[in-house]
Amino acid sequence: MQALDKALAQVGSVVLGKPEQLKLALACLLAGGHLLIEDLPGMGKTTLAHALARVFRLDYRRVQFTSDMLPADILGVSLFDPESGQFSLREGPVFSQLLLADEINRATPKTQGALLEAMEERQVTLDGLTRPLPSPFFVVATQNPVTQAGTFVLPESQLDRFLMRISLGYPAPEVELQLLAGGDLREAVRELRPVIEPAGLVKLVAHVGKVRASRDLLDYVQRLLEATRADDRFSAGLSPRAGLGLLRAARAWALIHNRDYVLPEDVQAVWPSVAEHRLQARQGGQVAALTQSLLQTVPVVRA
Amino acid sequence: MARIYQVPSHARGWLTLAIIATSLPQLVDGPWWQSPLLLLVLGWRALVDRQRLLLPGRVVRLALLLATVAATWQSFGRLHGPEAGTALITGLFALKYLELVGKRDAYVLIVLGYFVCATILLFHQGPLAALYVVGCLVLLTASLAGINYGDTHARGRQHLGVAAVMVLQALPLAAILFVLVPRVAPLWNMHLDSGQARTGMSDSMSPGQVSRLTESAELAFRVQFDGPAPAPSQRYWRGLTYSYFDGTTWRQARPPGWGERDTLYHGRGPAPDWYRGLRAAAGGPAWEYRVIMEPSQQRWLYALAVPFTDLDGLALARDLRLVADAPVTGTLGYRVRSVPAAGAGATLDGAERALMLSLPEQGNERARALAADWRRRYPNDRALVNAALGYFREQPFFYTLEPPPVTGDTVDRFLFDTRRGFCEHYASSFTFLMRAAGVPARVVAGYQGGEPNGDYLQVRQYDAHAWSEVWLAGRWVRVDPTGAVAPDRIELGLRQAMRNRSADQADGEGGAFGRLPVLFRLQQWADYVDFNWQKWVLGYRQEEQRDLLERLLGAVTPTRIALALLGAVLLVTGLLALLVLNRRRDQPARPLEREFRRLRQALGRRGLALPEAVSAAGLEAAVARRWPAATGAAGHWRRYFEHLAYRRDGDPPRSERLQLARRRRALMRALRG
Amino acid sequence: MVRDAWQCWLDRRLPRARQVRLDQRRIFILPTGYGYLYLLVAVLLFFGGINYENNLILGLCFLMIGLFVVAILHTYRNLSGLILRAGGGRSGFVGGQGSLEVVLIARRRGHRALWLRWLDQPAQEASVEGGEELGVWLNLPLSRRGALRPPRLRVESRYPLGLLRAWSLVALDQVCLAWPRPQESRDCPARGGDRERRAAPTGQNGSEEFRGLRGYVPGDALTQVDWKGFARGRGLNVKLFEEPASGRLWLRYDLLEGLPLEQRLSILCYWVLRLSDENRPFALTLPGATLAPARGGEQRQRALDLLARHGEVD
Repeated sequence: MQALDKALAQVGSVVLGKPEQLKLALACLLAGGHLLIEDLPGMGKTTLAHALARVFRLDYRRVQFTSDMLPADILGVSLFDPESGQFSLREGPVFSQLLLADEINRATPKTQGALLEAMEERQVTLDGLTRPLPSPFFVVATQNPVTQAGTFVLPESQLDRFLMRISLGYPAPEVELQLLAGGDLREAVRELRPVIEPAGLVKLVAHVGKVRASRDLLDYVQRLLEATRADDRFSAGLSPRAGLGLLRAARAWALIHNRDYVLPEDVQAVWPSVAEHRLQARQGGQVAALTQSLLQTVPVVRA
Repeated sequence: MARIYQVPSHARGWLTLAIIATSLPQLVDGPWWQSPLLLLVLGWRALVDRQRLLLPGRVVRLALLLATVAATWQSFGRLHGPEAGTALITGLFALKYLELVGKRDAYVLIVLGYFVCATILLFHQGPLAALYVVGCLVLLTASLAGINYGDTHARGRQHLGVAAVMVLQALPLAAILFVLVPRVAPLWNMHLDSGQARTGMSDSMSPGQVSRLTESAELAFRVQFDGPAPAPSQRYWRGLTYSYFDGTTWRQARPPGWGERDTLYHGRGPAPDWYRGLRAAAGGPAWEYRVIMEPSQQRWLYALAVPFTDLDGLALARDLRLVADAPVTGTLGYRVRSVPAAGAGATLDGAERALMLSLPEQGNERARALAADWRRRYPNDRALVNAALGYFREQPFFYTLEPPPVTGDTVDRFLFDTRRGFCEHYASSFTFLMRAAGVPARVVAGYQGGEPNGDYLQVRQYDAHAWSEVWLAGRWVRVDPTGAVAPDRIELGLRQAMRNRSADQADGEGGAFGRLPVLFRLQQWADYVDFNWQKWVLGYRQEEQRDLLERLLGAVTPTRIALALLGAVLLVTGLLALLVLNRRRDQPARPLEREFRRLRQALGRRGLALPEAVSAAGLEAAVARRWPAATGAAGHWRRYFEHLAYRRDGDPPRSERLQLARRRRALMRALRG
Repeated sequence: MVRDAWQCWLDRRLPRARQVRLDQRRIFILPTGYGYLYLLVAVLLFFGGINYENNLILGLCFLMIGLFVVAILHTYRNLSGLILRAGGGRSGFVGGQGSLEVVLIARRRGHRALWLRWLDQPAQEASVEGGEELGVWLNLPLSRRGALRPPRLRVESRYPLGLLRAWSLVALDQVCLAWPRPQESRDCPARGGDRERRAAPTGQNGSEEFRGLRGYVPGDALTQVDWKGFARGRGLNVKLFEEPASGRLWLRYDLLEGLPLEQRLSILCYWVLRLSDENRPFALTLPGATLAPARGGEQRQRALDLLARHGEVD
């Protein structure tokens, strides 16, 4: 899979110093999942999404979410023209291959709901007609971690629609120096060369499903899921859907590492980004720490 | 309040089957009206279940109840006692099924079922009966399991499985309780007359009586010797002595004016002189054995001469035989120590001596003349006895089971005319001759011989025998005139003797003796089972328990029994708990998991503590950090483990597991190097 | 006093948890009434066997006792290993009933004829086979407003023989939300376009200004669909109105000054229900919490939950 390495290198040339996050984002894409990036503004979220779109030559749209947005603004409307007596369909931005939904938590729950439903179904029903969204179809949503006035925090059930949540964070000092010394990032993104065509990406996504997950590995995944359900420090355990997502992400991770079978280490690598946003700690516990601690306690090989 | 039928449909089948099964023995043995009653109830119930009929109202139920009670009264003339009680409880059991609505009714019904099971065992005590009752208990338990499983989706079959497993698991516990729970004496006496008329010895002997017994192969009793058994010709099982002869029939008798007190010693009170005399002479070799008698409805028991027992419920009679306190109505087991030498301690006093010489005033004149002739020629008693035996041997006497009928002077006719007879003819005429010659003599009735089966002897009705005893030199001496005529009968037993003769005469005796070998073998085997059943299960009473516990526990004290009981029950319950609750453990470790654990433990012994959630790669890294020299071997192992665990599905074949184990050992060796 | 001590002991021994696996620490077992009757029968048979000197009847008695001991193990096993997990909840109004879901999980073996009930509540029977999960909804009467913790859950089983009762008192960490009981009130405690609005009769939407039509999108209120147009074959469309300033009602807690707290909430609850029924947008302001204007089922739910949780210290 040299193409994948090349793609990573390409994106890495514009998003500096975050190889792990890039790999996760790529894995999320390959697993056919949607990505939620939680970060402060200006951390390179947009750059990342745009770079991914370029590398895979995806039809890319960006929507800035606001509180007065209606579902129709995302999905599109078919407007009735009284003069001609005809409906004219205006497709919303959701009809793209890579949608960057910026600051998704600024929209009202109803609008969020419309988008998330489309993400899940991969189709939109407009005017009584069901229209499939383009393939591939990825949503990269960003959200601000700070609860600001007029934001609607995504409910847990909606967070489940995102396969992964990552955050980029501040760059390391030397990377920041490089960043400051470098040229215009936007220009650099525009100069990125496509490495894999959309059709190739679809094939890769299909290939992820064929990565072998043995019985022993499935047992391990099951034990992890079970641990979240049995652990009282979480207010609710992971759903079966989350489990399927975890497995799929681990498969994509294995593929990125040129393996056609999944190792427990693959599961562990994607675990925090798949599990954290679906779990809630009780009594002010740290979800991140708790989620990580399960990797230390759940036996990889049953003793 | 409307009462809803709470017994789920999947449980009803078992309940019905349990009722039929538990009632069945009573339907066969009990009064005729039981079957129609049960059929009525079952039919009514079936119609109710199909909603074709309503459950009977209170009046109908009351009428049925009264009818059942009345029918019981009609059949038995009373409502108490085992038979009437059994009939009544079985009837109630059926009627209860008719008013079954709620769960509580079902519980009452099943409780009644336990009682009905117990009544089966009152009348049937064979191994098959016990098995049958266990089967009934399984059915009752299956019904319980069904009643308590309200889910309508449940399947009827699983109840039987649950019940069978539970009863099976309960059996070891029951066995422990059976062996260890102390048997106590009955709190009040219950006499249970099984009412089965049995063939056997009677208290009088007239010609033809014993020969009738020989047609029966029914078991009389069984004997188990502690050591080797005596030779067949020595096995004379004494049961009765006949000392009074009226010309045709020999009877038991006591000297005039004597009561039971003078002839029986029960072991209570001071021992009478005759008992002390016997005791004093009881030295020398002895036979120790255990007899298990079939019910005979008589009081006399069988033993070799001279029998001593612990006299618990038994008595020793002055004529050297054992007598039970009550007629033997069920199987009875008793231990005997027979000391042949003790016969020397016997006495023969005036009145008794007179009885042993008594003959009718007249009749059988030719025999009397023969006896007088012998007396003149042989003044010595012993010589006279030998002369009589010689007479039987030399004259053309025949031993046959079908002697021609004789009337009038039976002894004369037999001795001088027909000369064909059976043991009773010989014993009777020999004793007559002795008495006529002035030698005290008596007829002894009992059994002779017995066939070995396993480690015990079976004595059957066709082993019935009669012989004589004469008073010689201050003691009773056994003389068997039959042996003089047909030695085979004594050496080989009746069956063999008859077979030999039938081969000679090409004249099959048929009947009890001409059985097929296979069937015979089977029957012997069944009897073997039955014997051990009698001995170990039915006959396991206070005494046997004491013996067994003494062997098991050393000494029998209440504390020891309590401790043994507690210990054994706890042990078995613990084992059962392991068995029952074990399945809650996780699925057994798979081969790769075991292999991983082994390596982990081995590394732990070398001082490498690994986190609980370590993976193969984590393990490799930890080894490499601690023992850099072993890095290669660790990687070798890790790659193969991952290959087997994650690259393929299913448990690896044996060869690959061995390969992995080899790499593990190589890794452990690398640590040392 | 004794009851308190018992509760206290229970809380220490069996603390609340979201998921509970029944084990020997949590399972109690005692004979049932029928179990005692059964033992009595066994004792009677013992005396019968002794008196008739019948070893087989004694054997039957011992077998029954053995069966009783085995039944202890099996009854215990029927509960042991069962996992109970707090499931979902359905809120209700005070005085009515809410219900909570208890998920029964059977890992390896089945657990049959389980009776589940909150203490002092009617029971419900359920069975789970090995490897299955089963959600059981148990009703809970709601006596006061707010997040209610159910009392301990009693899980009982007499399976297989009914001779013994094994039970456990499980404290599941779940809450049922009790909304205030709606109390009718003529005046809408609202501030919006025109103050002191009366209840608007349904259909008054027509007074709002018609803006146009657009295609139906899932989630649109059915009351706004252009049914006439649909009948004429123009497909499913939604009428768009200019939202009049007076349409957004702000239900306000502080407008009910002078009334006791619960009554205020009850009145607000009534209006939330009423406005939702009329499919009118509204907003809600409580001290310390505000719900932005919206309409529909979700808004109703949020408003009710807010009312239920009012004054709760987390």
